[in-house]
Amino acid sequence: MKLCLKKRVFTILCLSLLFISCSSDLDFNQTDDFKLEPVFVANLVYFDVPAHDFVDDGTEHIVAFDAEDFDVFKDKFFNDNLAKAEFDFEITNTINRAFTVSLLLLNDNDEQLETLDYEVSAYTGSANISKFHEVFEEQRLDLLKQTTKVAFVIHIKAGSPLNENSLGNLKLRSSATVYMEIE
Amino acid sequence: MRKAAVILAIIANFYGFSQNKQVLYNFTSIPQSLLVNPGADVSYKYYFGIPLLSGISANVGSSSYSAYDLFADNGVDFNDKIRNIIQKSSSNDKTYINEQLEVFSGGFRVGGSESQSYVSFGLYQEFDFLMYFPKDLAILAVDGNQNYIGRSFDLSDLNVKAEVLSVFHVGFHKKINKKLVLGGRFKMYSSGANATSTQNSGFIYTGQNTTGIPNIYTQIIDSNLELRTSGIAKFTKDEYEGSIPGDVARNTFLGGSLGLGIDAGLTYYFKDNLQFTASIIDLGFIKQSKDIETLTYKGKYQYDGVQPNFSNADEPENIFDEFEKAIPRDTLYNKYTTWRPTKFNASIQYSFGEKRSDEECNCKAQSMRKYVNAVGAQMFAMTTPQNPFIAFTAFYKRSILEKLDVKATYTLDAFSNKNIGFGLSGTIGKVNIYALVDNILEFRDVSKANSMAFQFGLNYVLQDLDE
Repeated sequence: MKLCLKKRVFTILCLSLLFISCSSDLDFNQTDDFKLEPVFVANLVYFDVPAHDFVDDGTEHIVAFDAEDFDVFKDKFFNDNLAKAEFDFEITNTINRAFTVSLLLLNDNDEQLETLDYEVSAYTGSANISKFHEVFEEQRLDLLKQTTKVAFVIHIKAGSPLNENSLGNLKLRSSATVYMEIE
Repeated sequence: MRKAAVILAIIANFYGFSQNKQVLYNFTSIPQSLLVNPGADVSYKYYFGIPLLSGISANVGSSSYSAYDLFADNGVDFNDKIRNIIQKSSSNDKTYINEQLEVFSGGFRVGGSESQSYVSFGLYQEFDFLMYFPKDLAILAVDGNQNYIGRSFDLSDLNVKAEVLSVFHVGFHKKINKKLVLGGRFKMYSSGANATSTQNSGFIYTGQNTTGIPNIYTQIIDSNLELRTSGIAKFTKDEYEGSIPGDVARNTFLGGSLGLGIDAGLTYYFKDNLQFTASIIDLGFIKQSKDIETLTYKGKYQYDGVQPNFSNADEPENIFDEFEKAIPRDTLYNKYTTWRPTKFNASIQYSFGEKRSDEECNCKAQSMRKYVNAVGAQMFAMTTPQNPFIAFTAFYKRSILEKLDVKATYTLDAFSNKNIGFGLSGTIGKVNIYALVDNILEFRDVSKANSMAFQFGLNYVLQDLDE
C-alpha cells in the first residue's frame, strides 16, 4: 500500500513537472534588420555684421574674412553614420549694398573642398531676406565629411561707399538637418 | 550598435521580474519558504539541500512588452516593432530579472526532541537587474529631435541597476508557544559586480526661436548623469585579458564588496485554523568598495553653432572642446553604499477540513490539528528606485496526499492582472521535491507573457515522524 502510494506520488510529480507550454514562432535574426534613422536639427552658422564694421579708418574694406574650426566630422560615429545633410541659410541684408557671401569648406591641409556662394541684393527699403538650401548626398556628402574648417568670405559689390555712420546689418542664420542611419 | 541590439535582445529574452515568490511564500512543507519568511512555521529534525539543486529560481518580467512584441515572425518590420514598443511604453514601465541559485543550504533543530527551535543556513548566488523604460532617450535615438522642437527630453528616464552577489545566511526560528513562531536571519552579502545609475536628471532641449533671438534654435543640454560601478571597471580597460564570467564569479564568492542585512518574520495563530504571517526580507546594504569607478557627466551646454567674427581676429572655437569643457566626463573613485531591494510579505490564512491520515496510526507529536484545505490572501511589496512594487495574491492550498501538497495562486500586479500560479511539494522517501511556476495562463504562448517565474528544488528532510 505504502509503495503504491509512493509510486502514485512520483507519477503525479513527474507529470506535473512536464508543464506543457507553447510559444509563437520567434525570429531572432530580425536584429540584423535593426536600423535607427533619427533626424536631428541644429544651429549651423550665425553672424550679424553692422555696416560700419566694413569701414576701418574711413576706408571701406571690400572683403571680410574669418575661418573657424568645424570638427564635428572628426567624430567617427557621426561620420560613419551620417547618410545625408541639408543646410538652410537665411541672409537678411539691411545695408544699401549688394554682397557675395561665401563659405569655403576646408580640410586639415586648408585645401578647398567646396565653395558655397550666395548672392545678396542691396537693401532698398523693403524686406530683403534671401534663403538658400543645400543638400549633401553621395559624393558631395563625402567631401563634406572631410571638412574640418569653414572659412567665411564676405565680398562687397560696387556701390555708394560705406562710412562709419552707415546703417544696416548683414545677418546670416542657418541650420543643419542631419539624417543618420545607424545599423 | 550591434552591441545595442544584442543587449536589447538579451533584455527581451529574459524579460522582467518582481522577486515576488507568491507560490513559495508560507508553503511550509518546503524548507526554502524560510527564505521568504524566517518566521514561517516550518519544522524538521534536520534537512539539507541537494547542492546546487536545492533552490533554483528565476523571475523575469517586462510591464510594457513581451518577446513576441519584439521578435514575432509576422512580417512586421523589426524597426516598426521597436517604434510600437516605444510608443506604448512609459518611463514607469520596468524590465526586471532576478535569478537565485542555492549553492548549499541546511538546517537542524537545536535542543532536545521537545525543542521547537531551529537553525537554518545556506549560501546562494543572486542576480538582479532592474531597468525603467528610457522612453525619452529611445525617442531621441529612433526619431531624432527634428519633429520634437520645443520638447525637453528628460534624462531622468535613464534609470537602471544591476548586481551579481552571493549571500551567506544563518537564520533562527522558534515556536515560542502554540500561537506564535518568531524568526530572524542574518545575511552577509558579497557583491561581485554592481552598476547603478538611478539618480539622473537633466534634459536635452531644442526650441525654435521667433524674432528677437538671433539664432534659429535654442539648443541646451543640461546633464546630471552618474553611473556608479563596482567590480566592473577593470573589464572595460584595454589591457584586460581575463574571462569576465570567471572573474565575476570569483569576485562574487571571494573578495567582493561586503554588506550586511537581516530578515525577520513571524507566524501567529489567532485560532488553530486562522493564521497570520508577515516578513521583511533583505533589509540591508552593501558597501561598494572593490574596483569602484563612478562616471559623471555634469554640466550645461548651449549650442549656438559656428559664429565667425569679422572685426577681430579671434581664436577659432572648437565645438567638441567647448562641449567637453561644459559637460566634462569625470571619473571618481569614491566608495558608495547600495541598499538591497527590501521585500515585505504578509498573509492571512484560513484552514478547514480536518486531515485523516493515510497511515495506520500516527498519534504522536501532533500538537495541533492538521487541515486539508487552506485559503487566504497575501500581500507583497518591494522597494524600487521609483514607486514601490506591490502585488496582491489570493491562494488555495491543499494536501492531496499525506506527502503531497499543492498551492494555487491568483496574483494582481503591475505586470499582469491574471497571473495564476501553481506549486507542488512532494516527499518521496526523505527527499522533498518542489516545483513552482506562475503565470500559467501564459504557458499557452510564453512568448507573449509579460512576466514569468519558476522555482525548483530538491531537499533531504528528516522529520521526527520519520524516525
